[in-house]
Amino acid sequence: MNEFNEDDIGKLLRLKRHEQPPPGYFDNFLHEFHRRQRDELLRQPLWRICLQRAQDFMFRLNVPGLTSYPAAVTAVLVCAAVISLKVYQGPGIEKVAVVQNPTSVVATTLPETAWSLSSPVSTRDLGPTLLRTAKYSSHTHRAATPPRYVLDSTPVSYEAAFRF
Amino acid sequence: MEPPRSDEDKQLVSRTQAGEAGAFDELVVKYTPRLYGLIYNMTSNHEDTNDLLQDVFSKAYKSIGGFRGKSSFYTWIHSIAVNMTLNFLKKRGRRFHLSLDDMDASVQNDKEFLELTATSSPVREADLSELQRRLNEAMMKLSDEHRAVVTMFHIQGMPHAEISKILRVSEGTVRSRLFYANRQLQNYLDEFRKNPVS
Repeated sequence: MNEFNEDDIGKLLRLKRHEQPPPGYFDNFLHEFHRRQRDELLRQPLWRICLQRAQDFMFRLNVPGLTSYPAAVTAVLVCAAVISLKVYQGPGIEKVAVVQNPTSVVATTLPETAWSLSSPVSTRDLGPTLLRTAKYSSHTHRAATPPRYVLDSTPVSYEAAFRF
Repeated sequence: MEPPRSDEDKQLVSRTQAGEAGAFDELVVKYTPRLYGLIYNMTSNHEDTNDLLQDVFSKAYKSIGGFRGKSSFYTWIHSIAVNMTLNFLKKRGRRFHLSLDDMDASVQNDKEFLELTATSSPVREADLSELQRRLNEAMMKLSDEHRAVVTMFHIQGMPHAEISKILRVSEGTVRSRLFYANRQLQNYLDEFRKNPVS
């Protein structure tokens, strides 16, 4: 009795090419494919459809191509310019009072004898020895810019009242 | 079975990527019979093959935007088909039933069929239809990876190099799997020939 050799196996296997689906299967396959695509699309939530559209759009724009060297350098320069502008402007304006008159004074350290509840602090004449001009005041970061004074963020009225 | 022309595929892929859905339809029509054969011989079930084939083209349509042409479309679509089928077979496990297509009448005129029935004595000794049935059973006894290689090489007529690209393994691995699978099929069919009632 002869045994099967590799060639026989190959020939037998090649006969399996003649196993074919029912007639018309390949003709209908494309229609079935379209139908399934439509069904799948209708079953998807709206946000996913929008996301896919956006991805397609980005792909067609060829975003990786846009991130070339010149574009990257331009982006870095723009970012640097924006950041430097922010640094130049300093901290938030709402807490900074710019003194228009450089000779204005700030009452900081008054001797206890100078205090009186009879008149407001701002209208009192404190005398030359008690004055501190702006050039000695708390320096801000630039000499060329007008002097700035940081106001206390807590309103005076909220401070604890003096008790005598 | 000759592989389709690559330059035609390139044009169809470019047109699909440009948004022309009709171009993808042409690719579907072109590749359906070939991919059907591949998946069918790996699953041995017509219904599973139909579902998988639909999924393969659906996945290909979604992914074709990212296809850069590093390999041919032929290799790319076959890779998708083989990987999806192997994943499906892993999930399916051993719970399946054969749902085989009938052989069409053209087999009677096939040169190899005539040769087998006329000259090959072991085949002539056995009933050919019974032998085919046993062969299908033997195929399903192979591991999924070995069956994939046998299908691509013997049934689809692909060269070793193409199979290695599709499976992303070396040609040596392809040859080794093929050798092992052939030995297993031979043993099984010889067993059947010696004990036809088993």
